[in-house]
Amino acid sequence: MEPVNIHAQHAENHGGGTKEIWRITWILTVLTIVELAIGFWMIKIPLDQEGLRLGLKGVIVILMMAKAFYIVAYFMHLKHEIRNMIMTIVVPLALFIWFIIAFLYDGNSYKNLRNTYDPHHKEASTVKGEKKEHGAADHKEGEHKAEEKH
Amino acid sequence: MATEAVLQAHATHDVHGDHHHEHHHHETFITKYVFSQDHKMIAKQFLITGMVWAVLGGLMSVLFRFQLGYPDATYPWLEDLLGKWAEGGRITPAAYYALVTTHGTVLVFFVLTAGLSGTFANFLIPLQIGARDMASPFMNMLSYWFFLAASIVMLSSLFVETGPFSGGWTAYPPLSALGDASPGSKTGMDLWLISMALFVVSSLLGGLNYIATVLNMRTKGMSMTRMPLTIWALFFTAILGVLSFPVLFSGFILLIFDRNFGTSFYLSDIYLAGVEKALPNEGGSAILYQHLFWFLGHPEVYIILLPAMGMVSEILSVNSRKPIFGYMAMIGSLFAIAILAFLVWAHHMFVTGLNPFLGSIFVLLTLLIAVPSAIKVFNWLTTLWRGNIRFTPAMLFAIGFVSLFISGGLTGIWLGNSALDIHLHDTYFVIAHFHIVMGVASMFGMFAGIYHWYPKMYGRYLNNTMGYIHFWATLAGAYLIFWPMHYEGLAGMPRRYYDYSIWESFKQFAELNRFISTVAMIVFAVQLLFLFNFFYSIWKGRKVREQNPYNATTLEWTTPINPGHGNWVGEIPEVHRWAYDYGKDGKEFISQTTPIGADESSHH
Amino acid sequence: MASTTTATTKWWSGGKSPFNVEYGKLMMWYFLMSDAFTFGAFLIAYGTTRFSTNGWPDPNEVFKSFPFAPEGVHAPLVFVSIMTFILIISSVTMVLAVHAGHNMDRKGVVRNLILTIIGGAAFLGCQAWEWTHLYHEGAWWGSNPFLNHDGSVAISTNFTNFFFTITGFHGFHVLSGVVINIIMLIMTLNGVFDRRGHYLMIEKAGLYWHFVDLVWVFVFTCFYLI
Repeated sequence: MEPVNIHAQHAENHGGGTKEIWRITWILTVLTIVELAIGFWMIKIPLDQEGLRLGLKGVIVILMMAKAFYIVAYFMHLKHEIRNMIMTIVVPLALFIWFIIAFLYDGNSYKNLRNTYDPHHKEASTVKGEKKEHGAADHKEGEHKAEEKH
Repeated sequence: MATEAVLQAHATHDVHGDHHHEHHHHETFITKYVFSQDHKMIAKQFLITGMVWAVLGGLMSVLFRFQLGYPDATYPWLEDLLGKWAEGGRITPAAYYALVTTHGTVLVFFVLTAGLSGTFANFLIPLQIGARDMASPFMNMLSYWFFLAASIVMLSSLFVETGPFSGGWTAYPPLSALGDASPGSKTGMDLWLISMALFVVSSLLGGLNYIATVLNMRTKGMSMTRMPLTIWALFFTAILGVLSFPVLFSGFILLIFDRNFGTSFYLSDIYLAGVEKALPNEGGSAILYQHLFWFLGHPEVYIILLPAMGMVSEILSVNSRKPIFGYMAMIGSLFAIAILAFLVWAHHMFVTGLNPFLGSIFVLLTLLIAVPSAIKVFNWLTTLWRGNIRFTPAMLFAIGFVSLFISGGLTGIWLGNSALDIHLHDTYFVIAHFHIVMGVASMFGMFAGIYHWYPKMYGRYLNNTMGYIHFWATLAGAYLIFWPMHYEGLAGMPRRYYDYSIWESFKQFAELNRFISTVAMIVFAVQLLFLFNFFYSIWKGRKVREQNPYNATTLEWTTPINPGHGNWVGEIPEVHRWAYDYGKDGKEFISQTTPIGADESSHH
Repeated sequence: MASTTTATTKWWSGGKSPFNVEYGKLMMWYFLMSDAFTFGAFLIAYGTTRFSTNGWPDPNEVFKSFPFAPEGVHAPLVFVSIMTFILIISSVTMVLAVHAGHNMDRKGVVRNLILTIIGGAAFLGCQAWEWTHLYHEGAWWGSNPFLNHDGSVAISTNFTNFFFTITGFHGFHVLSGVVINIIMLIMTLNGVFDRRGHYLMIEKAGLYWHFVDLVWVFVFTCFYLI
């Protein structure tokens, strides 16, 4: 074997050293601040502007993916590994695509089915509640509510 | 940077481990047979534990076949055996459901997952890729001990007051989530969940090890495309397990919360008739559990099937004295199956309230599996074609596997259609389908593997005559048991019923059910013959005299007849060619360790 | 096989790791893959349930408190953003520890590991405070005191069920990460890695720690932001 040889090639494997680490730290910080800013903005947007809210949520998810990328690529050092190893990690993650689509689609469908065929369920979920005083709720709350239903 | 040199040195040590001494320390009974870190011994531990479970699981099926075949008869000896579970000599409904559930769980997870891939991944990966042992022998040992712990917990659930879990091996809520739902849903279900959690840990420890070993520890010259197909299959099996078991684990954690902490992940609108109580749980969905369960559950089918496919490919090639037909296509189809395994889970749920449009996409994806499966079948058949076939028991079981895979696979195309599934779902047609294609076929793969590698495992041969009896009785029996079930299923006979004789529509099957039960008992008895053969031959079998009794090309036959811990004496051989050079250039076979000759025709 | 350092290196021909990493690191990566599927399944189950439920509480109304602030303070996102930054910073110190390990700089490793452990402990402290606070508001497994965003009564308790289960599972990972880091610290102080000649163990512990941070990125988004 060649203990020293791979070395040369491996040397740049540590990327930009501490400089890079601080650069990524800044990127992550900025991304988080942008996320929070959108979060604060969303508080102000009324519920009926669903399109805008959904769009902003989409932006937040994209920012989340970007953060995940920077953490995995630089902090976990994946970017500096051999390409094939990167592929073995990244390719299986593609399974999440169908995993997410199928689950959420079916969840949504379940809601629609219930709202269509179980009028009682639909009615029960539109009962307006009083805004409670801080800390006034008791622990059996959920149970009482559901029991009334039956 | 100093670390790299070290890393390299480190890797060198791991990959070659040439200073891995043969008998470096004195082995006691405990370190050699109990807490062994030798992959070959761990494989045997998996195998024998799996065999114990196969006998128990098989016995359970015989017991519930008594009920199905002879619903009115009473057997005093049953009461002697099962006590209150067979009051008056007839198995009670609770016991019947407990038997069915435990039979399913045990066979799927303990026998055909741990017993099959646990055994052969451990045994074959280091031997066939040319490694001294697994990447981490210690984790490998832990993997077995977690499996044994899971086994013990599962076994103990058979002896609790309220009985083992009895809601089916899929453990759907609400039956599995509510202790008040049935006796088996109380302590039995808790133990079932603990056992399964331990099993997931075991499978994870094993799977990570197999992947790391195949990637990192191949001997010099053993590129990925020179590996025998067994290793490819076991490699994909390990990947399937590592990616799908955690999803089951998450599903189980949510189930544990539903059982014990008042959550409603899977529960909604429930009135318990037994205790006359309406439950407060609201907003959950049992379909969510089914999604999570089958996200593992479907890959699990291939976790069971792929190792058998890999071993069958190898055995067919060795015993036809021909290279495997379409080696790259075989790898490609394994890969395609592994990917599709993750995309088709909801075809188990067509009639559970799944969105029908989503269902139609799952139909499409499901039917795609027929493509790689057909590629594999045709490649096996063309490997046999004009081969110089040696009908050893292992070869017979391998051919039997192909036969069963075809017959069981074709009915899968029926079941994969959501429209047909409305009629066939939860009938005996399903039972027939998955027992043939997954259960019996994988058992055949496992038998083929045992018969083929037994000489390497124990240095002795199994008795051939008993092997032939075992094969023919099992093959005929498997078809006689499961073929008639197709007709019952098409006639609408549902699975999991306790007594069909009280249904006007199914009375006509009384004779047939009796016939199936009788054959099941005979086949079970024949397996005892195999067990006798197995244990008798460990001590009394004909000794292996040659290093390479089958004239096979792969590396395990370059080790000593009884390899020690470390497998090879001296250096690990270097590999120069793929694993399937049979009948090449006028030579009967060429071992993988033989260098490429100057005037050799094209090679891999 | 001398000069095989260029791109033409036959990584896959056997006799060496195709990825030029030792098996332990490979196993850690694939374990994390597996764990990603555990968390993925949790979060997808949460999403599925949310998609199948009419109405869902507004996180800004639920997570609006701050330690030592007067009752009734309305400070959404503030506390959780502090938690997020704590975790990011602890990830940075971990990366610095790994970096110091590469340079065989024992002092650097020790300093940064201590900082990482402090960060992890601080995060756990924040989480403990938040859980206690929510508990006193009546939230727990099987109990959801919060109104839906549209003002309707939540008929399901699944908001709190998922919140406590998933953040609990993440917190459990943080806890085990802190324990692993403490073990690493002790081993470093005892000079185990100097004797071994490499700090690869720190690298593997680092991978685990970053993964915990990574999961928080997703949990934070799914529960607090959207």
